[in-house]
Amino acid sequence: MGEPVKGRVESSLPGLRGIVADDKDQEHAVVTREGPTKGDAEIDQLYAEAEDKRLSKTSLLLDVLNISNVLTDGVSAMVDDSFNKCFTSTRPEPWNWNIYLFPIWVVGVVIRYLVLFPIRLMLLLIGFNTLIAVFLLVDLALMPSKRKMALQRKLVQWMCSAWVAAWHGVIRYHGPKPTPGKNRIWVSNHTSMIDYVVLCSYSPFAVIMQLHHGWIAFLQKRILSSLGCLWFNRTEVNDRAVVAARMKEHVNKEDAIPLLIFPEGTCVNNEYTVMFKRGAFDIGATVCPIAIKYNKIFVDAFWNSRREAFGKHLFRLMTSWALVCDVYFLEPQSIQQGESPQEFAGRVQAMIAKYANLRIVPWDGYLKYYNLGEKNPGLIEKRRRVLADVLRAYLGKTGAAPSTMELATEGKAALDGLQRNEEGLKGAVDGGVLQGWRKLCTGGTVHPV
Amino acid sequence: MGQAASGGLTQGDVDEVIAASKGVFNQAEIESLYKRFRALDRGHKGYISPEEFLSIPELSINPVAQRLVRCCECPNFTIFVKMVAPFSPRASRDDKLVFMFTVYDVDGDGFISREDMSMMLKQLAGSSLSEEDRQDIISRVLAQAGGAERLDFAAFKAALSSADLGNMVVEVPVDL
Repeated sequence: MGEPVKGRVESSLPGLRGIVADDKDQEHAVVTREGPTKGDAEIDQLYAEAEDKRLSKTSLLLDVLNISNVLTDGVSAMVDDSFNKCFTSTRPEPWNWNIYLFPIWVVGVVIRYLVLFPIRLMLLLIGFNTLIAVFLLVDLALMPSKRKMALQRKLVQWMCSAWVAAWHGVIRYHGPKPTPGKNRIWVSNHTSMIDYVVLCSYSPFAVIMQLHHGWIAFLQKRILSSLGCLWFNRTEVNDRAVVAARMKEHVNKEDAIPLLIFPEGTCVNNEYTVMFKRGAFDIGATVCPIAIKYNKIFVDAFWNSRREAFGKHLFRLMTSWALVCDVYFLEPQSIQQGESPQEFAGRVQAMIAKYANLRIVPWDGYLKYYNLGEKNPGLIEKRRRVLADVLRAYLGKTGAAPSTMELATEGKAALDGLQRNEEGLKGAVDGGVLQGWRKLCTGGTVHPV
Repeated sequence: MGQAASGGLTQGDVDEVIAASKGVFNQAEIESLYKRFRALDRGHKGYISPEEFLSIPELSINPVAQRLVRCCECPNFTIFVKMVAPFSPRASRDDKLVFMFTVYDVDGDGFISREDMSMMLKQLAGSSLSEEDRQDIISRVLAQAGGAERLDFAAFKAALSSADLGNMVVEVPVDL
């Protein structure tokens, strides 16, 4: 096994147990679809070296038949893995389980659902619709001018406050209130779409959002555009260059409204934080971190988009006693000499994690939407090649192996072959893994970058 | 009155599962595994599909992920626990060997034949090992393991008699 190096966090490779990687840097070895923390080749190499360490290389029988290591890796991942932890909401302990507390709880439920909810809903609809009407009026009546923009922003702020009141939000804001500034960008951890509302009710922000359909699109295009929100289609979000260009353009405007980015790219459960994508940290702007911590005392604000529709999520918020939350505006950070954008992102993430009491996990949030093994067949092939080389050594050969690309396609073909073979043998498995993931991908939404 | 914190698991279920897995798990571990099962089983179908297993990033980068996932064929909770049982610190060495044998025996006929080994080697060593080399390796392994054309469990066990299976342990996280 590798020896731990003094003064650095032990970084074992996710999914490969028993070995501590000979990792010279402090960062976790993580494989992602876009900008990884290390080069793909480097990560593959770390895994390959670890695999190599685990083989006996003395007995052909053992190296071929003893599959205990890979099986342990696999079953260990089935039992517990660091990625899914970020998206589970812990169920609160039920406190209504005895004869004294139960009636009180029932009374509480009645009040929340039959009294509070209707009142809140009514006030929300009245307030929100009035504000929308005023907004559209202002939009049509006044000529585009600075005053109009300022007025519209105030209205949006009030609309967000109406929403916050609908959930009876008890929100404490710590730190200096954000003011627009040249070349500044704001980043925050992401728990639910309501993060944006919570922040906007205090101080207006523009955000990069997925353009939706229906009445939300109407809201987005007419109202949120006044804040300078940037719209993208799903396909465009994947184009980092386009996003980066638009971000740069926005932050360079003189009176630009503060631009807010959620570098995690997806909603996380407010106990963990997944990898910060480096897009916002790469444009040469000063980054102002915001940490948002929800208090689960009355309701869990995490929106698990895989299990819950947004409407149901809102309903849950509106039928709870209150939404308690702390927002911390932290000190602006600039990229240091000799620091890479990914390291910068990591540093800011550490700050936010400290204030919001989150644990950092090295996975890319987008892994919710795609199968890591499928996207990076190279990693699996490298690991396999280690065993193949050892086995060839037993045969007395050390021949040159085919290129990685050939390997990747051949590997996939072999896998498909195996899959089809086994489907013939065992039956009952439909579609295969790729189709399953395509289904998930089309079902999921992309959250602000 | 009151709510079941374990969401649907009764004592009867727990007892049944403990019996099915030969008592290697205590109740706390079973409850924890149940929570995990429910988390993986999206849609609460009562079983976990291969896609759901492969959505675990750490599992999807495992070379034998496909075989592992198809080995247990859409497990319900009892089968899920039985699959994890050999990895309990209280499981016997025999249990571990049986599990390894079952995974290796792809067609499930109780013997590890050349075809089984060929398929497993494709998953383990990939395609950088040529077909010729693969067959060569298989011949040598069969020769060294007793000379038969295929391995039964006894031969498999004997071949791995010097293997240290102490690493084959998985901790079930239990929150106290």
